[in-house]
Amino acid sequence: MSVEKLAYYPGCPSEATALEQHMSTEAVFEKLGVELVEVEEWNCCGAAEAEDPNLVYALNARNLAIAERVNLDIMTPCSICYYNLARANNALKADEELRAEIKGIDPSLEYNGTITPKHILDVLVNDIGLEEIKSKLVKKVEVKVAPYYGCYIGRPPETAFDDPDDPVLMDQLIELIGGENVPFSTMKTKCCGGPLMMTRADLAFEMARKILDTAKNAGADCIALACPLCGMMLDAKQPDIEKALNVKFEMPIVYITQLLGLALGIEPNKLGLQKNVVGAKKILEKVV
Amino acid sequence: MPIKTWELDPNFKNEILNEPGGEHLTACYQCSTCTLGCPITELVPSYNPRKIIQMSLLGMRTEVLSNPDLWICAICQTCTARCPQNVVVGDVLAVMRRLAEKAEEAGEIKIESPRPLFETAFLHTVEKYGRLYDIGLAMEYYPKREGSFVAGQKAMMSDYMGFGMRMFLKGKMGPLGGHGLFKGLLASKIKQRDVMKKIFKWVEEKEKER
Repeated sequence: MSVEKLAYYPGCPSEATALEQHMSTEAVFEKLGVELVEVEEWNCCGAAEAEDPNLVYALNARNLAIAERVNLDIMTPCSICYYNLARANNALKADEELRAEIKGIDPSLEYNGTITPKHILDVLVNDIGLEEIKSKLVKKVEVKVAPYYGCYIGRPPETAFDDPDDPVLMDQLIELIGGENVPFSTMKTKCCGGPLMMTRADLAFEMARKILDTAKNAGADCIALACPLCGMMLDAKQPDIEKALNVKFEMPIVYITQLLGLALGIEPNKLGLQKNVVGAKKILEKVV
Repeated sequence: MPIKTWELDPNFKNEILNEPGGEHLTACYQCSTCTLGCPITELVPSYNPRKIIQMSLLGMRTEVLSNPDLWICAICQTCTARCPQNVVVGDVLAVMRRLAEKAEEAGEIKIESPRPLFETAFLHTVEKYGRLYDIGLAMEYYPKREGSFVAGQKAMMSDYMGFGMRMFLKGKMGPLGGHGLFKGLLASKIKQRDVMKKIFKWVEEKEKER
């Protein structure tokens, strides 16, 4: 195995709305024998709301610098945090003047560009590797899964680590643990609407509806994802979407780390499976 | 309506070109790939990033900056990924939103969308605590959007009562999850909040320089 220790950047939703993603990430990496060192005193990456690139660069320089001081690559389970860490890293690595200027704001922002930001899917499949994970599996998760990637995994090209139109990393993990990927290619990389939830809920709900609808029609037992904003939109807001659009989905939404954790034999409660808003425990019947 | 050529601002494209993210605007050759793949255009057929870019190249400054469509982009970056000319369409639209906010500050246009209020309220919590604080964000955003404290509380309740209860009952916010009595209800604060203040001050000064 090529990776033993990583700096872990949980991101703001890990403290509340995506607590189950945080719990399952920690549990899975412990089981895989990869030590996660939480970025001490990490700050918000700016999410989709920091529209000024300078703000993104400075906010993320601090997180990158903290990880660099312990000499570890930095991993996050959130697609937006990954996008911001990665584009800040690219900009700072390429521009010595920018690095110096940001260091001038405060010495704690001194970043020399010696580490690499990684998304959790990239780490699991490309760094730890399917063979290594396979050797630790103890159960089969025989569920039909709609693998939903959303944004910032295959795009924009500057920070992408999977195919923009037909990403495969999550599909590979689902197959590995005994699951079946339902036909979902039309929706895999469509935006969930999350960034519009607070300002144009009507559009956001319609975007989420299409994803939920497609998964249900494809016969999925659940949708798997790897971004807490998609989780908030598709899981925590699902009852609101059902009410507003007069539809019924009752579609469990699980983080890929929760599914993987089940295959690794981790207790469902340790994976936060009791915290998913749409009852996710019914998939346990299919874990053998 | 015909374009009044004498009212065009030939310098507008340079304003965009000079902003980080807007550097590749003039590479656009109007193929419309951005618009064909856009999930917003799918829902709102009049939404047309290609047209917004062409209008900005022509110098239709006021029309572009006061276009309400700027504020319904979901920043999904599908346009950016597909653009054959590497225009970075998503970032170009972000530049236009920032220029629109500046134009509003200067009294040139009025932005109807509540999105700038939302983004500002979000970033205020980051500046103050170092991390996003959902409840603080909502407490600032809703009253500003609705124009009064009472109307704001009412709108917040109607949008987030159900959501809040779910978060509480699932133990993601509040004591039921066993993660602490005030989990998610109080702001999570980092110690180096002074550095956050310095970062936001630096960004503001950089903005003025441009």
